[in-house]
Amino acid sequence: MADENQPDQTAGAPEGDAQQPKTTPPAETPPAAAPATPAAEGAKPPAVKKPAPAAKPAAAAHGEKKPAAKKPAVMETTPWESDLTKLLAERFGGAITEFSSYVGQNFLVAAPDSVVAIVEFLREEADFDYLVDVTAVDYPQRPERFDVVYVLYSFARNERIRVKTRIKEDYAPHTVTGVHPTANWLEREVYDMFGIRFAEHPDMKRILLPDEWEGYPLRKDYSIINMDNRWVKDNLGIDSGQ
Amino acid sequence: MPETTFLDANELVLNMGPQHPSTHGVLRVILKLDGEKIRGTECVIGYLHRGVEKIGENRTYQMFAPYVDRMDYVAAVSNGLGYCLAVEKLLNTEAPPRAQVVRVILTELNRIASHLLWLGTHALDIGAITPLFYVMREREEILNIFEAYCGARLTTHAFRCGGLQYEVYDGMEQQAKRFCKAFLPRVDEYEELLSENRIWKERLINVGILTGDECKQYGVTGPVLRAAGVKWDIRKALPYSGYEKYDFEIPTRQNGDTYDRYMVRIQEMRQSVRIVEQAVEDIPSGPIMAKVGKIVKPPVGEAYVSIEAPKGELGYFIVSDGSTQPYRLRVRPPSFINLQALERMSRGALVADVVAIIGTIDIVLGEIDR
Amino acid sequence: MRKLLKTVFLVDLIQGLWVTLRNQHPKHIYTEQYPAQRPKIAERYRGAPRLNIHPVSGETLCIACNLCALACPENLIVVTSERNEQTRRKELTTFIYDTSRCMFCGLCEDACPVDALELTQDFELASYTRDGAIWDRQMLEEGPKPTRYRY
Repeated sequence: MADENQPDQTAGAPEGDAQQPKTTPPAETPPAAAPATPAAEGAKPPAVKKPAPAAKPAAAAHGEKKPAAKKPAVMETTPWESDLTKLLAERFGGAITEFSSYVGQNFLVAAPDSVVAIVEFLREEADFDYLVDVTAVDYPQRPERFDVVYVLYSFARNERIRVKTRIKEDYAPHTVTGVHPTANWLEREVYDMFGIRFAEHPDMKRILLPDEWEGYPLRKDYSIINMDNRWVKDNLGIDSGQ
Repeated sequence: MPETTFLDANELVLNMGPQHPSTHGVLRVILKLDGEKIRGTECVIGYLHRGVEKIGENRTYQMFAPYVDRMDYVAAVSNGLGYCLAVEKLLNTEAPPRAQVVRVILTELNRIASHLLWLGTHALDIGAITPLFYVMREREEILNIFEAYCGARLTTHAFRCGGLQYEVYDGMEQQAKRFCKAFLPRVDEYEELLSENRIWKERLINVGILTGDECKQYGVTGPVLRAAGVKWDIRKALPYSGYEKYDFEIPTRQNGDTYDRYMVRIQEMRQSVRIVEQAVEDIPSGPIMAKVGKIVKPPVGEAYVSIEAPKGELGYFIVSDGSTQPYRLRVRPPSFINLQALERMSRGALVADVVAIIGTIDIVLGEIDR
Repeated sequence: MRKLLKTVFLVDLIQGLWVTLRNQHPKHIYTEQYPAQRPKIAERYRGAPRLNIHPVSGETLCIACNLCALACPENLIVVTSERNEQTRRKELTTFIYDTSRCMFCGLCEDACPVDALELTQDFELASYTRDGAIWDRQMLEEGPKPTRYRY
């Protein structure tokens, strides 16, 4: 019995190995394919980057705000043209600086002070009656530090677009809660995470973090480790090992 | 001037939660009451905040995949699917057909599991304990499939960017089929228990009404929207992962009250079974992983991709700066936005109804707070 | 009239109670008597980590390539190695795996090129101390030894 057990234990591993091929070959194939792909990948980024400078002047033509020095590669967008863009261009003119499309998703870049008007126009005239999301992206090196992104969807047209705007750090964009009540919590979250205050928002306060929180966590210069060290220092009175 | 006494005060502030059995986690609702009537509610959230979006910025694309399971932990597979689709969109690739079908099977099973858990806990809130035991039994079968497929029951990490890591195990089709066959009579059984029950109906009908227009205003999606008569489901409207190939219906109801949401979810479970049955029938052969390489490095760009999670529209907005880590990763959580409508739904309701309304939105605090 | 009779005779409630009664039959028992009755764990289960050793020679299979440590989202694996001057190979010296931070995502297992690191079917990982959750090479090779209860 003990003898039976002994080989059984040693056989346990080979058996596990024997069963593994059943499960692992698919797991094994990507690594097998992988050595080839990193090589291809290593060659790819320059290949991707090469057309980028060529595409850059085109991109810079309508969105010259992107500093080329900071970003070696630029988003390879294609212009977005449709009846809607014509309508918007007619109505808002220079307030919309860019109509673009990336991986089949359309977006427009607008001046910060015209966003509310554009969103309202889209809701009233173009059936974009569902505000999917409001969020922001932080680019600390850029003069206009934040991108505020509004994702809109139209049930009638079955179409989703994004309205983007670039704002400076101390700029307070006007709230869109008057147009879409959904924006209430979403804008509060943007304020909570990025410190972008929305003007005339009914309840501009933190939402996820406690009210006494310092700093805005999703800004790029917000350091988690510093926060952690400070907490350890204040509460435990020792130096954090991190 | 006489002192205002307790009896004179016509507004009473009542704290519900964060530790309250029917808030499904750590949600605190401040209720302003006039007797039994609700005058206003204010949600205090964030007790479960882990900074998922910040974690995402500090992890590579593959490393972040297990974290998304921990947002809506009841429907971890759906979270993973949304994330993988978003990264694949940035990479401008698509999972191979075989992977897509397996993804559909698992997500639909997950939808059933999520709705089952909702049904059990919601019934428990209302006061019907029995369904909870039955739904847990059926959910167990689904979790067993997950466990056998990917090795974890709850936080599955079932999908990878570009396809699947695990091949279908022997007997998965049969197990899924057996489950589907045994499950449909079970749904009838839940309906027998609840649908005609007078207490159930008294507690749910005309409670927490949200009309279709209000749903759109508040951005409410998922079963809540469909119960209000809006026939909209991302699986049909903007199909992903091959959903256009399957024959299923979008169940809708007209009243938009709590009872209708219950009915919609029950119907949705039946539809999910239909999809699973169709998908299991022919899983195409072929590779399960697209050629994405060991290191995922999407070109500079941004994409918003959303899927129909059990709770509503789950969206991922990823900004890539061309490195191996996302520059910005935003999650559009359905529970977070649906919960916002609680204020509207509970206005004028009774205190006991708030419990029913919170239950009917189907929130998971892990997703709200992230 | 029918509706009235239905209401008077509590048809809806009896219908529900009948479902409950039906499920009273012992064949519907689903609960697992856990410590007494061991659960059936799936073959692919991602549980306690194990560092596989060669079944015959007892040498570790690990080649100290550090890929698992790089793949880990939580950075909880520490691998140190030493260059053996005779064989000119890297040899594993220590391997530390912090199970207290592990979320069992399986990325380390996927990254391992030689199937040395593996997540096994052991799921009883509780320990009385925090240090007990940090496993060294010996522990990883032997696997956990949870208390077996006898009834």
